[in-house]
Amino acid sequence: MSDLTLDLQEGGAPRTNKPAWHRLLKDPAAMAAAIFLLLVVGAALLAPWVAPSDPYASNLRLRLCPIGGPRCPGLLLGTDQTGRDMVSRLLFGLRATLMLGFTAVAIGGGFGATLGLLAAFYRRLDTPIMRFVDVLLSFPPILFGLAIAAVIGTGLNGLVVALCITAIPSIARISRGAAQQVMHQEYMEAGRSLGLGDMRLLWRYLAANTWPVILIYMTLQLGQAILLGAALSFLGLGAQPPTAELGSMAADGRKFLTIAPHVSTLPCGLIFLLVLAFNVLGDALRDALDPQLRQ
Amino acid sequence: MARHIAHRLMISLPVLLGVLMIGFLLLQVVPTDPATVSAGPSATKADIAAIRLQMGLDQPIWLQFFKYITRVLQLDLGRSMISNRAVVDEIGFTLGPTVELMFASLIWAAPLGILLGSLAARRHGSWIDRAIMALSVMGVSVPVFWIGLMLIQHVGGAGLLPFQGRDGPLWTLAGLKSIVLPAVTLGSVFVGPVARMTRTSMLETLAADYVRTARAKGLTEWKVTMHHGLRNALIPVVTLIGLQIGFLLGGSVVTETMFAWPGVGRMAVGAITSSDFPLAQGAILILAIGFLSVNLLVDVIYAGLDPRIGSAGG
Repeated sequence: MSDLTLDLQEGGAPRTNKPAWHRLLKDPAAMAAAIFLLLVVGAALLAPWVAPSDPYASNLRLRLCPIGGPRCPGLLLGTDQTGRDMVSRLLFGLRATLMLGFTAVAIGGGFGATLGLLAAFYRRLDTPIMRFVDVLLSFPPILFGLAIAAVIGTGLNGLVVALCITAIPSIARISRGAAQQVMHQEYMEAGRSLGLGDMRLLWRYLAANTWPVILIYMTLQLGQAILLGAALSFLGLGAQPPTAELGSMAADGRKFLTIAPHVSTLPCGLIFLLVLAFNVLGDALRDALDPQLRQ
Repeated sequence: MARHIAHRLMISLPVLLGVLMIGFLLLQVVPTDPATVSAGPSATKADIAAIRLQMGLDQPIWLQFFKYITRVLQLDLGRSMISNRAVVDEIGFTLGPTVELMFASLIWAAPLGILLGSLAARRHGSWIDRAIMALSVMGVSVPVFWIGLMLIQHVGGAGLLPFQGRDGPLWTLAGLKSIVLPAVTLGSVFVGPVARMTRTSMLETLAADYVRTARAKGLTEWKVTMHHGLRNALIPVVTLIGLQIGFLLGGSVVTETMFAWPGVGRMAVGAITSSDFPLAQGAILILAIGFLSVNLLVDVIYAGLDPRIGSAGG
């Protein structure tokens, strides 16, 4: 959510993470989310090796087999409308969905974070950069998805571009806020008086002390990117069938909702758990790093 | 105050220009040459060239863009490539249902969110607070289409309520019945954020000096919460609700498509998937302009309600 604003306490970005990690370790919900995410990311990475069968191999004799149905022993979560193994499709779908989210947040978020750092470092760039960010923020994310799908056509490429753009503005704001706090620190002044160049000050001093905050916000943004990507794919504007992607799998299965609810319920549930885990972990990380915000 | 509004307008202008640019771009990617289409099948090359000249298609692109803006200002958005109706008329048909759906979602979701948020703030730290906050995180994390699918499966599938299309205006029984499932779907993703915002705002207010004074005066807890707490906590919440309209808009595109609700969002998705560029252009334009106007309006109202914003210069 966009109401999750981060304000750093006076000390700037923390330099010692030990107490923060201790607080995090004591939060059972955050630990559960972290473990779940580790498992899920591991499963997604290893999908080609751990998937029991080809996610695109259909078998019409076994179509819409329910979970644990006697018709298809050995197929743990049943099959979809063309008889494809649900376990394999979910694993590959997870892989595609996570890849989309990570790419969007890495590229869009990385770009946004750099913009924020530059805005804090060079005072004269502040106004133009932040105006640009304001303009981006004035667009509801779904409209980016719609507009880009309309201009360059439906498909994964357009989806990635749309998700990247939506990740830029909020991360730029956070990174600027955090960097501005660091700019007031004495070591920045010390670095400057030592005669260090702008690039060195920017990366070795400013970026190095703001990245924890940016990373936390990226975690929260990941959940949002995954949710938006899934919604656009669900609408038929993102991943196209037969691509295994959780959003388009959910859309695919909705025609069989009454006779085989598992075909769309499983991908929907997986998206929910994934986004929930990212949100819980992101919230907990933020609280751990900035106890003042904990209310 | 005036400065604040001017600032908002200054941000809105480039956004508007960006939206118009996207709209213009969409009309440029139309695979068929508009002059050929309008000249008809029996036209000679010279005829087409004449029409090109007449339509201004030979002019530089920036001049064409300028002319496009003038056309949009005159509400001329072209014709749908599929229905051949004017895009403005198509938008006219779909705008009402979209506004209706948003209204029907807000009318229950916002009060429920405010109620849950105040409850959580009143019982700060208790299991009620934790449960409400957990619910709110779940609400932010759940894909809106999953809620829709579950409602269609369990309520619509059982024949309890209709789930396909709009059966009439809101004030008729059939219309009312047909809006229930879409409105519940769309509103449900809104309860969580509102509860969260209310809780934060309420906690801040309850810690304020005037609340302590009210308690010291010997007012009842109820009076302190309602009159001094909630009333002051609501100003930012109402604004944030307004600013979250974009969030609701995203949900409404999905909800309308799922429930075959004849709104702008469903029209936009349909136009994009069927490559009806003029209609897609019109739909995106109206969604963006609607969103911008609501944001601007909320901002101005907020500046009016809270004099600190105006004097601080935004």
